[in-house]
Amino acid sequence: MRFLHPFTLFTLAVALPALAWILPAPWGAAGTFAVAMALLLTPGASPGWRVARTALLTAAPFWFFLYLLHGVGGMVPTGLRLSTMIASFVWLVAILPPARLVEAMVAAGWPVSAAFLFSATLQAVPALRERAQRLVDAQRCRGLATRGGPLVRLAALRALALPLVLSALHEVDERALALETRGLVPGARRTALAPPPDHWSERVLRWALVLGCAALVIWRVA
Amino acid sequence: MTAPLALRGVTYRYPANQTPALREVSLDVRRGEVMALIGSVGAGASTLLLVAGDLAPRVMGGELTGTVERDGRAALLLPTPWTQLSGMAFSVHDEVAFGPANLGWTRERISASVERALTRVDVAHLRDRDPTTLSGGELQRVIFAGILAMEPDVLLLDEPTAELDPLAARSIWGLIRSLAQGGMAVVVATSDLDALPDMADRVAWLEAGAIRALGPAADVLIDPALEAPAAPGSTAIARVWRVAGLREPPPLTVSQTVERLR
Repeated sequence: MRFLHPFTLFTLAVALPALAWILPAPWGAAGTFAVAMALLLTPGASPGWRVARTALLTAAPFWFFLYLLHGVGGMVPTGLRLSTMIASFVWLVAILPPARLVEAMVAAGWPVSAAFLFSATLQAVPALRERAQRLVDAQRCRGLATRGGPLVRLAALRALALPLVLSALHEVDERALALETRGLVPGARRTALAPPPDHWSERVLRWALVLGCAALVIWRVA
Repeated sequence: MTAPLALRGVTYRYPANQTPALREVSLDVRRGEVMALIGSVGAGASTLLLVAGDLAPRVMGGELTGTVERDGRAALLLPTPWTQLSGMAFSVHDEVAFGPANLGWTRERISASVERALTRVDVAHLRDRDPTTLSGGELQRVIFAGILAMEPDVLLLDEPTAELDPLAARSIWGLIRSLAQGGMAVVVATSDLDALPDMADRVAWLEAGAIRALGPAADVLIDPALEAPAAPGSTAIARVWRVAGLREPPPLTVSQTVERLR
């Protein structure tokens, strides 16, 4: 399924949770959860069991708290719905490289700023994590204790958070200059470097999923 | 000779700062010329590049008087490569292609320009790497390639060798020289004065935002005032020459030194 257009994968990953909440419980949610797990375990559709295990482990605490709050009767439908959401999201993250989605957004004529916001956010997370690790190392060299009880860790957190936030803010100005000088200005008509092919059948599938969800909402409300 | 970059009586203040960062600066940079900006920290070299690149005051804010004339596209390389990552590229190839793609070029033109830039800066072997996993030196060269791929008429470089080892730095200085020979106008702010005798055609010495001296590299770099406490310093060869008490003016390159000592 990796060859599918990013928008198709995205629509599938959004439609499944939507159907889980629209269709009558528990069978509707059970069906969507089964489809989401099938996507996770289909050879070639995702990295397989390891990713499925990630989704199940992420969903497990929700089942536990739902059981505490609502008992078995309330746990099953909501648990299945939440598990569908988690499994669909994990599947999408595992199967869709961000670069392909960005290219699809640019090729579809989305504003460059929207595509930038999406991909820069994805890249900011590991960058910030790396910077935080560098700060931890630097502060340790200067005698800061970062291991121990909760109070020690809390004190260390304060000493780490401030430089992390300040350095990130300081970079914003330079990053803005760098983006300007490299042509990322409002209204720029960016060329898609490798636009993913978008077959008409995929466009039909996407619209069918959207319209199907809308029709089911009307059916359920009526 | 035309001047793709000309500053006339430029004075610039950063926002909320009454002291001008540039004072009455006038200079022309010609095609095929490398102009080096030297000065101690806070002298205004980086600010001059921001003004030349149309980033100050347009993006930075502040107040500018005087005129800045540009004929063609200017591109600026900042000294901190990690802040210049596009955030939209997941491979070195796409990082280098970021600027050309923003210019709306055809894919064919982008591809040709990217390949040329990757080869010139000697980072073609990194093309499939994730740019966030590169070392500082590799990243600096990749960002440089990204700037070159935009085929600027005026190349503005702020400490382009700050992250590089001596060998890579020599290679970048050689590349800058060859870019100028190809017709580009280059303005480079650097504290690596030893590279300038071979690399720069002219040197502008900035002090407190004003030009203190402007002329051929061979003339400006032999000025003994460069070695004053608040000045940017001189080349290593000139310093050694003077410490040894040899006859002024000092040589600036190894070959000149050998010639003088014979």
